[in-house]
Amino acid sequence: MAASFEDNSTGQPKDDALKSTAPARTEPEEDNDNDDDDSQEEDDDDEEEEEDDDEDEQPPLTRQARMQSDRAKMEALFRRLSTERVPVRVHDVLIKGNAKTKDSLIEAEVEALKTATTVQELLQAAGIANARLQRLEIFDSVNITLDSGPPELPGTANVVVEVVEAKNPLSGDFGIFSKPEARSWSLEGSVKLKNLFGYGDLWDGSLAYGWDQTSEISAGLSLPRFKGLMTPLMARISLLSQDWSKFSSYKERALGFSLGLLSSRNHDLSYNLSWRTLSDPSQISSRTVRRQLGHGLLSTLKYTFKVDRRNSPLRPTQGYAFVSTSQLGGLVPDYRSLRFLRQEFDLRYAFPLGLLNAALNFGISSGVVFPWGNGFLNRPSYLPERFFLGGNSSPVCTLGGPTSILGFKSRGLGPAEPRRQVGENSTTESADASSEMDFLGGDFAVTGFADLSFDIPLKVFRDAGIHGHAFACTGSLTSLTENSYREFSLTKFKESFRHSAGFGIIVPTKLFRMEVNYCYILKKHEHDRGKTGVQFSFSSPL
Amino acid sequence: MEEVKNGEKLTLVTRKPCFGLPTACPTCLPVYIYLRFAQLPFDVEYNLIYPDSDQIPYVEFGSHVVYNNEKGGVIQSLKDEQTVDLDSDVSGIPEWVSTKAMVESWLAEAVMYELWVGSDGSSAQKIYYSDLPWPIGKCLYFKQIHMVKQLLGITKGNAERREEEIYRRATTAYNALSTRLGEQSFFFENRPTSLDAIFLGHALFTLHALPETSVLRSKLLDHANLVRYAENLKAEFVDADSSSSSASPSQSDPSSSVPKRGPSNWKSNPKSKPKREKTEEEKKFKRRAKYFLVTQLVAVLVFISLLGGSNDAEVEFEDGDDGLDYE
Repeated sequence: MAASFEDNSTGQPKDDALKSTAPARTEPEEDNDNDDDDSQEEDDDDEEEEEDDDEDEQPPLTRQARMQSDRAKMEALFRRLSTERVPVRVHDVLIKGNAKTKDSLIEAEVEALKTATTVQELLQAAGIANARLQRLEIFDSVNITLDSGPPELPGTANVVVEVVEAKNPLSGDFGIFSKPEARSWSLEGSVKLKNLFGYGDLWDGSLAYGWDQTSEISAGLSLPRFKGLMTPLMARISLLSQDWSKFSSYKERALGFSLGLLSSRNHDLSYNLSWRTLSDPSQISSRTVRRQLGHGLLSTLKYTFKVDRRNSPLRPTQGYAFVSTSQLGGLVPDYRSLRFLRQEFDLRYAFPLGLLNAALNFGISSGVVFPWGNGFLNRPSYLPERFFLGGNSSPVCTLGGPTSILGFKSRGLGPAEPRRQVGENSTTESADASSEMDFLGGDFAVTGFADLSFDIPLKVFRDAGIHGHAFACTGSLTSLTENSYREFSLTKFKESFRHSAGFGIIVPTKLFRMEVNYCYILKKHEHDRGKTGVQFSFSSPL
Repeated sequence: MEEVKNGEKLTLVTRKPCFGLPTACPTCLPVYIYLRFAQLPFDVEYNLIYPDSDQIPYVEFGSHVVYNNEKGGVIQSLKDEQTVDLDSDVSGIPEWVSTKAMVESWLAEAVMYELWVGSDGSSAQKIYYSDLPWPIGKCLYFKQIHMVKQLLGITKGNAERREEEIYRRATTAYNALSTRLGEQSFFFENRPTSLDAIFLGHALFTLHALPETSVLRSKLLDHANLVRYAENLKAEFVDADSSSSSASPSQSDPSSSVPKRGPSNWKSNPKSKPKREKTEEEKKFKRRAKYFLVTQLVAVLVFISLLGGSNDAEVEFEDGDDGLDYE
């Protein structure tokens, strides 16, 4: 008896194959499918065998009679499978078709097959192994066939894994993505080289240009399995340059190397070593920024714990999410590298309201950064690692710490310092006053929001996914370092909160997700850059 | 400016102090000394992480900043804005102007050469890179050496010629300055001007920050009156804050060697430079090394190509199992 599974190259394991232990009603369908597969896959050899059989061994049966007997045998098999555990032992796993890919890589992905004890387990494991091999992204198609073992060993099965390697190792990509580091969207083009050395390695080089004059060029390597490690290993070097001249009068340039050490659904651990340079070519920065201009070496370990039980990352109507990100800087024994500790928390909760697919979303994010080491109480925190609030990113979708309060411009609120005064005109026009301030960010940030999203009751909008929302946001940014924590008090902290509210429409398209909001600033401080009015925001579509 | 007159204090941001100097960077020291000459009260802050910036040194008062790469430098900007102008009387004297130009070009070049190319780099490392993490410090150091060589027009071919030229000019400048100074306390009109600030900065740097094997330093030590001038002014203006009691009155006896690096203790052993032979030997060695490497590479390639041909018969193990049972 032979059972075979053929999964197509789009990587969708056939659910009915996995559900082979499902109720009997689905059997006839499976029967037909498998029969067809049988006849497709077991090609000429089989027909030849059939003919041989016909000629030599059995009395001449018509083709129809033979098909009926096969069908009867299949039905009997599936009945057996659904009612009892059919014991089987895997005798051998054979791998075919890999000219370049190393056997060890494929064997590691189909490891679970060897330990299956029943046919049901074997079918399940085969489906999973197929999916995992597809996920490596280095094969054009993957077939896993289960055959009976050698005739002298009853109750055994052979597994044959047949892969077709991707003909063209090079692939290119171009798209619009949202980058959490730059807090905006960017145009990115990348080139990927697959499986250069046969270990399932993915090499990629990419060039990204962001909305706010951020540009990055990077090259990376991803290894699914490196010498027995369970999780994939990722390494990346990048050269990133960001221009914050309009907001904080400095430009940042970072040459970095990052290593992804552990990456699973809930945990992520990565190491980053980078050389950052802050410079001010315009020479108008404020005193605090001037003191921080120069070079710095960051050696940081970042751990992220994430639980996201919401039903959708873009329009959650039910569920909760919690993210905690911790970053420890200064791991190199060199005392001159930047030493700081950064912790962020995000909590989101959504519950549905029933009518019009409406949902209420709540969220609170907070973060704190503090230096450590000698004299840490007097030292200022590193400027690029501080928290900056402002910008148009939607708080419902982003889970990257306290970043946005709708209505305020990017880096538009918090501690600010006047820039260098050029020339004799000390009569500062108050209208221009805020444009002469540098926003320095803060060490302790808290943001919160409440958002009510609902479908617009017109079929056209509902089908396109366009929906509306009403929101209220609040946030605060304070500094703690350089002995400012001594002046910290609850009343001052309460005073430092800014509020805004508004409503808007969200239009998700294939290329980007657009939000058009009308924001009303309820409370802001003197130098904040926030304006009541209509604002647009764009983010990545996925 | 009004801010200064209101009593708001000036802040001078320079590179770090070491070698007994308030700031050891040769571009920052003249500005420090100039402010001392002007007897303006000011604070000093240090920037330890930006060695390749041309904005440092800079002077802040209130929200105004005077950078070194704007309007001809800090000293010139301070003079232009009438904050403090020590040169009002002398700026018309042609000799003063040409002496200052000589110091600012020939001696500045000599110091730049000596600091980055001529010596072993230990002084530069200590002044600029001792507060940066090691990999960054090393990269910036090599970058700076390359930039200085480009600035001074030094290439592999003309290295010796340029060095000779730089030292010759430095010697000429020292001779001229020594003659000009004589036994006076200052170069012109018996009072401090920006020329004194610039030369004093240069002299203090050369005497204290450059290593004892430095050629430039030994040339400066040949002129006792310049050394005396430097030490006296240092004691009077630069060390005035520190409570060192060894600040003896201006005409100090050269033989009294109480301070550790007093005039009589100046040691100088400029290293003899058999550079000419070294470079020829180096060239021969490099050529031989290149031949050796090329031969090795060819040998390896031949080995691989010869043996690679015998590895064609790979056993296709999986093909043997083609005869699978279908029943």
